[in-house]
Amino acid sequence: MVLRIRLARFGNKHSPFYNIVVAQARSARGAKPLEVIGTFNPVPKRPTNLYEENANARPYKEIALDRSRAKYWLGVGAQPSDPVWKLLSMAGLVEKKPATYEKA
Amino acid sequence: MAPRIQSRRVSNALLPYLTSSPSSSSISSIPSLSPSSQCLARQFSATAAPQTKLRRTMFEWLNNEGAALKHHMPGQTNYLRNPRDSNEGGGNRPFPNNPNFISENILSEELRNEIYERVVEKKKSVRAVSVQLGIDMKRIAAVVRLVELERRQRAQGKPLALPYARAVHEMVPTTPLAQDGERQQFHEPINDLPAHPTTGPQIFYPVPESRSFTRVDAGRVFSGAPALEREVAEKITHPSDLAEKAIENPNSIDWVGKGENARQVLQPADVRIPHPQLVKLELDRAAFPEERRKVAQLHAERMERQEKVETERRERAQSRREKSIKHVEPEGGRFDYRFSDAVFTAETTGKDGRAPWAPGRRYGVPTNDRKRGVVKIPTRVEA
Repeated sequence: MVLRIRLARFGNKHSPFYNIVVAQARSARGAKPLEVIGTFNPVPKRPTNLYEENANARPYKEIALDRSRAKYWLGVGAQPSDPVWKLLSMAGLVEKKPATYEKA
Repeated sequence: MAPRIQSRRVSNALLPYLTSSPSSSSISSIPSLSPSSQCLARQFSATAAPQTKLRRTMFEWLNNEGAALKHHMPGQTNYLRNPRDSNEGGGNRPFPNNPNFISENILSEELRNEIYERVVEKKKSVRAVSVQLGIDMKRIAAVVRLVELERRQRAQGKPLALPYARAVHEMVPTTPLAQDGERQQFHEPINDLPAHPTTGPQIFYPVPESRSFTRVDAGRVFSGAPALEREVAEKITHPSDLAEKAIENPNSIDWVGKGENARQVLQPADVRIPHPQLVKLELDRAAFPEERRKVAQLHAERMERQEKVETERRERAQSRREKSIKHVEPEGGRFDYRFSDAVFTAETTGKDGRAPWAPGRRYGVPTNDRKRGVVKIPTRVEA
């Protein structure tokens, strides 16, 4: 069966929080995964505007990732889902996924 | 029908009670209400309102003692005073029946501007300014941040609540900034230490009279650590020796216990107080009572050395933190992404993968955050 690296939603209503997990592709989203390899907080955080240098800083999203485990699971053929692919490509672990459309 | 006529008469008879204060215009306007509405309001009531006596005494008080409190004197508190108290002028107890409630001083405008000037413009350390002015280090840091914010708001032309600030500063006690040649009045005690929870239990610990037993040993007993080796213990001439060691190398503090119960050995109060350097300064003063210059120089050298070590350590920690976080700014996106390293192994997640300190959210462990009686606010302060 296919192994997937995907997001598992936690958190309450309107406050999502994701574990980045390695799981069998056909298991439920909330089922216990093979392994947790990271977390992703999709709610952007804004740097405090107390200091001058932060005045124009952009809001950021926080990701924690166990890179060595992610590399291992990619090496044995786990397939990232699209959102995780985006995160892993930003972390420099996989190539950027080619867009299915051309920008005009 | 008799009752209706009677009620009308009673309601009219009650009205003067409401106007016991002849001067107040708002109350005297009540009789001008239409008689029909009064009649409806008090149709079956034949008793006088029970609070009439209280109201009478209230107006009496307002016209006599209370009249003095109507307007405050700028620069003085305007609190109620216990009539039995003989001492005149100000007073810092707003509730006469609660002598334990003391209204504490706040920083005056000049003092807070002075703090900002010393820390930001003269580049003095927060610790040094705290000792000079007798203000807690946390308060110094907060003042610097807030003055910074105020200056920015002024520069941006944002409105400030100045009349409010002025009124508050007129009515509560403030700590003034010392004029030239005056001694600065200390704002608060700066070296206070909260009782450490480890010192809660009463321990019966017999010690032979021939053995020296100091605060250092007491801390080890409280935290369940074995007694110090004799050679090590003999090197400690005073518990404040440990303070210098702990500042220069925080890893020198021993640990006891395993796993979740691992904790650092309780240090003597000389180490844990906010300004451990002051103990050494006082010891120096006692040792060299005649040589004030030498004592000051020793203190300055010590402070400089410790500050250097502390800044180095802070910078190292900061660079390590920054190195571990990878910033990604994707093109055309609204957000930045910050990747931090996490380690998911048996040690960090526990044997069953559900350790409460493991990174990420738990599986098979209810969050309990909506349960009754689960306290979400912090219930303890790290001492």
